[in-house]
Amino acid sequence: MRVRNIIVFSLVALCLAFIPTVGSAAKGDTIVYGTTEKVSDMDTAKAYDFHTWEIFYNVYQGLLRYPAGKTNIVPGLAESYAISKDGKEYTFKLRKGLKFTDGTAFDAGVVKWSIDRVMELKGDPAWLVTDFVDKVEVVDPLHVKFILKNPVSYFPSLVASVPYYPLNPNIYPKDKLVRDPSELKGGNMVGLGPYKVVSFKRDEEVVLEANPMFYGEKPKNKRIVIRYFADATTMRLALEKGEIDFAFKSLNPADIKDLQKSTKVQTIMAQGPYIRYLCFRCAGKPFDDKVLRQAVAAAISRKPMLDKVYLGQNAPLYSMVPMGMWSHEDSFKTYPGDGNIALAKKLLKSKGYDEKNKLTFELWYTPSHYGDSEVDMAAVLKQQFDATGVMNVEVKSAEWATYRDNWTNKVMPVFLLGWYPDYIDPDNYTAAFAGTEGSRGMGIFFSDPKWDTMFNDAQKETDMKKRTAMYKKIQKMWTDEVPTAPIYQGTLYVFAQKDVKGILLSPTLQFNYGPIYRGAK
Amino acid sequence: MRNLVRYIISRTLMTIPMVLILLTIIFVVLRLMPGDPVSAMLGGHAPEKVIEQKREQLGLNRPMYIQYADYIWKVCHLDLGESMVLQQEVTEAISDKLPATIELTTFGMLITLVLGIFLGAYAADKRRTMRDSAIRLYGIVVYCIPVYWLGLMLQLVFGIWLDWFPIAGRTGARIFPSDFENTGFYLIDTLLMRDWTAFGDVLLHLVLPAFTLGLTLSGIFVRLTRANMLDVLKADYILAAESRGIGHGTIVYRHALKNAFIPILTMMGLQVALLMAGAILTETTFSWPGMGRLLLERIYLRDYPTIQGVIIVFALMVAFISLLVDIIYAIVDPRIRY
Amino acid sequence: MNYSMARGLARPIRFFAGMGRKYGVEWWILCVGALIIIAILAMAFFSPFIAPFDPYRQDAGPQLAAPGGPYLMGTDNLQRDVWSRIVFGSQTILRVSVLAAVISSFFGILLGLISGYAGGAVDRSLSLVMDAVYVFPGLILAIALAAMFGPGVLNITFAVAVIYIPTYFRLVRGQTLAIKQELYVEAARAIGAGSFTILGKYIFPNVIATTVVVFTLNVADAIMIEAALTYLGLGLPPSIVDWGMDLAMGKKYLPSGVWWLVTFPGMMISLLALGFTMLGEGLAEILNPRLLER
Repeated sequence: MRVRNIIVFSLVALCLAFIPTVGSAAKGDTIVYGTTEKVSDMDTAKAYDFHTWEIFYNVYQGLLRYPAGKTNIVPGLAESYAISKDGKEYTFKLRKGLKFTDGTAFDAGVVKWSIDRVMELKGDPAWLVTDFVDKVEVVDPLHVKFILKNPVSYFPSLVASVPYYPLNPNIYPKDKLVRDPSELKGGNMVGLGPYKVVSFKRDEEVVLEANPMFYGEKPKNKRIVIRYFADATTMRLALEKGEIDFAFKSLNPADIKDLQKSTKVQTIMAQGPYIRYLCFRCAGKPFDDKVLRQAVAAAISRKPMLDKVYLGQNAPLYSMVPMGMWSHEDSFKTYPGDGNIALAKKLLKSKGYDEKNKLTFELWYTPSHYGDSEVDMAAVLKQQFDATGVMNVEVKSAEWATYRDNWTNKVMPVFLLGWYPDYIDPDNYTAAFAGTEGSRGMGIFFSDPKWDTMFNDAQKETDMKKRTAMYKKIQKMWTDEVPTAPIYQGTLYVFAQKDVKGILLSPTLQFNYGPIYRGAK
Repeated sequence: MRNLVRYIISRTLMTIPMVLILLTIIFVVLRLMPGDPVSAMLGGHAPEKVIEQKREQLGLNRPMYIQYADYIWKVCHLDLGESMVLQQEVTEAISDKLPATIELTTFGMLITLVLGIFLGAYAADKRRTMRDSAIRLYGIVVYCIPVYWLGLMLQLVFGIWLDWFPIAGRTGARIFPSDFENTGFYLIDTLLMRDWTAFGDVLLHLVLPAFTLGLTLSGIFVRLTRANMLDVLKADYILAAESRGIGHGTIVYRHALKNAFIPILTMMGLQVALLMAGAILTETTFSWPGMGRLLLERIYLRDYPTIQGVIIVFALMVAFISLLVDIIYAIVDPRIRY
Repeated sequence: MNYSMARGLARPIRFFAGMGRKYGVEWWILCVGALIIIAILAMAFFSPFIAPFDPYRQDAGPQLAAPGGPYLMGTDNLQRDVWSRIVFGSQTILRVSVLAAVISSFFGILLGLISGYAGGAVDRSLSLVMDAVYVFPGLILAIALAAMFGPGVLNITFAVAVIYIPTYFRLVRGQTLAIKQELYVEAARAIGAGSFTILGKYIFPNVIATTVVVFTLNVADAIMIEAALTYLGLGLPPSIVDWGMDLAMGKKYLPSGVWWLVTFPGMMISLLALGFTMLGEGLAEILNPRLLER
């Protein structure tokens, strides 16, 4: 009898299981967005990753902002700004009459409160404020003044970044970092941006709905559901089954290749801000010699490597300043070149290395921090270096925690790193690696007072033409000193159902949900 | 009964040194690991000043024995502390993931028991025939198949080629656990909410991981059941029952199996470690958000308190199940006196 | 075939058939197990002669070619030959698992003898630690140890070895306790034999017979733990060919229908573990039929 009950029950359960699962989220105005990223802390003073920032772009807004899919800065919550003669004071004129949902008025005091909070709480991204800003002053309710420590010509792109976003002082606690929206007063994350967070379930889903208090253009969809996937394969299958409307970050190379061929989904591609490069420890033997660095850089053959490791995805990169950013030049293409084995041999020969006396060095990589293709990348690079016949490479790996300690302890002579920019400016792609301080922090230990002066001057210069010329010169000098060797620039891929329109990607990674809507197939 | 209570209490107390020993081992191993939570969490550029400051904040620059004493003191007060890399209580991280692991292991064990005991009993009944040999071979082969590889093969066949079952996660893309989550056991939660769509979805997601885990462990149970059944079938009372003309099936699958069950039960307690190791690998293969994945993730991040917390939970689970088995044993078999 | 050769072969054949009649299925299980092990050992010893390509060569064939033609098991995304990697990979897994079993048996037997013979506080504290490790999922400890030691063949060997010490310890300690009470040991002690003599001459030889079986089964477990660790990404640098690592790397190509990168390494791991398990089972039934049914 009991056995029969169990059988009946399991049969019922099985039948239920095979009923096609109709989503609880209705079609129509809801767009379901799949990702394998993770949200970190729902606090502008703590979050320091692009996915969390992406949510902030849509829920809050900066005094200045990037329009969807563009790289130029336009007014946001501020109507305009003025710079003092010495370049050290920025005064912003705020938009009039803006209110938070709870009725709190948006004014200069709110801006000062938010910036002060970031500076005091000293979260991970706080340096983006504290390194540049001395203090913030309220001029009058509609005018706020930032006084900088030094003139910084790219300050507007800093102001457009998340740590500078104004928050509602009546919602955020002043002296505590927030992790979940539930810790906010009222329990909801809502600001002055186009969306508000209506449901937040870490690692599962975040639901955004249009914010009625938003001053600007209303979003073209009612609701965005961000669905978090634990792995890329499941996300790919969910997309193919139509369970999600689009997928962004990060699919496996094999999945991307298949989906690009698929007739069921559309591919949206753009150049990303992400770059990968090889670092040399410029202090100590043997790579304190720039000729050896040039030789190793010359031996890198980018396209074949991308073909093998990423099945042809991503783009070869010949400068530390990525493609699509002003002043970019393919400087490494001319010298030391790409896959230029003859040059590598010649350079090494001049230093006494040949087939019998090979240049022997360790190549380090970290196996999971940059995704699991890293082993392949190291294997291909080793093969390319060994193929010159005059280099002998030993591949070594360490988990990220160790990797970081290793570079501080000068353990790794040659190692692979990757870079997402903190702010969108060539400065962040150059001074960060070759300026004395930045370089030490990254285990490169490159230091040249002449270079430091150049970086300083370029930072202060406000004339765009002159700045461009300066960064072009720096890129040229890079090919001689080679503190790092660029390898590739990440391509952004979005795969969407055919009826999803308005996905605008940008190399700033500022992804706005507002323009997305469901159209005809 | 009094004896039993006393026995349970003393057995419970005996788990304390076990947990303490494991905790000490893992504490030392973690501190000897290269890298620490601070360096694991930082990106490219953090000034050394900031790094030092953070280490001090987390108390990582204190002597190891002080850190150890401090931690043990806290654990004695049932405080597992806070994660060193996320703003999260360790207990919160664990209570988030534990139900997923228990759900998986329970169903895995269920499949193991059904398969293992039935096949084992059948093999014993048909001993020294081809069918017996085939089942024994199945037992050996299945034991040798790495659980993650079996998982991947099942994914390939039933997930990708046949497309019958989902291959990862606990729910589909349009089923939102927050709609029904209550206990964290999704099958129970969806049943409580009478959300049949979600229930079906959750069940469907459970099929491949549970079978993966269940199949690999069934090998041992086939062997155990067969061996114990062989002993029982030789016993006098079985021969007596046979001579009284009771049906052969009834004798084998009711009387004999019932008597062989007690030794099988004790063996079950010993297989818990294997079950958990299997669960960790199954979780990785099926992206199952449970304790195993939590452990691996946090080992990469060097999140000492969370890793230690996970170890405590695993140790307690092992201890709890073997205790449970002993108690059942004591109740079922009244000859046992402690 | 001439007469003398036939006579030469007759004896082994008679021997095998005779053993088969005496022990039945168990004997054949043992033989199949031994055969698998011998085959894979041969693979490891003669890798360069068996493998058609250098396992690291990145232009061995086209990218992700399906099995067939010159590529018995296909090629991977770096255009390496999978079969050649399987052949060379056998060296790694055999080295790690056998060495790990040797190390853990050495320490396990040593500590077991000491603990069982000495008794008292030494025995109690050692047993407590060993029991705690024994009941705990070994994989978890191995993961932590592998992370501590860092990548490397010897490092992973030690990580695997540590978790199996209690297995030998418990077995040897139990037997030592039993043998210690035997009359002939008492007698030896009475005539003034020292502790070392008793341990070495009387106890150790008795203990070693049963550990052989456990050792064989232990190698099978070590194989699976080694592969599990490398599958999880802990354990080995990429300059070493390893089945578990190849399997893990091939995993992400599975949804694209690339089945050969996962199937073959997994099959080999299973086969090797099966070889040792069958050998162990066969030995156990023949040497001591009750051992596995405890």
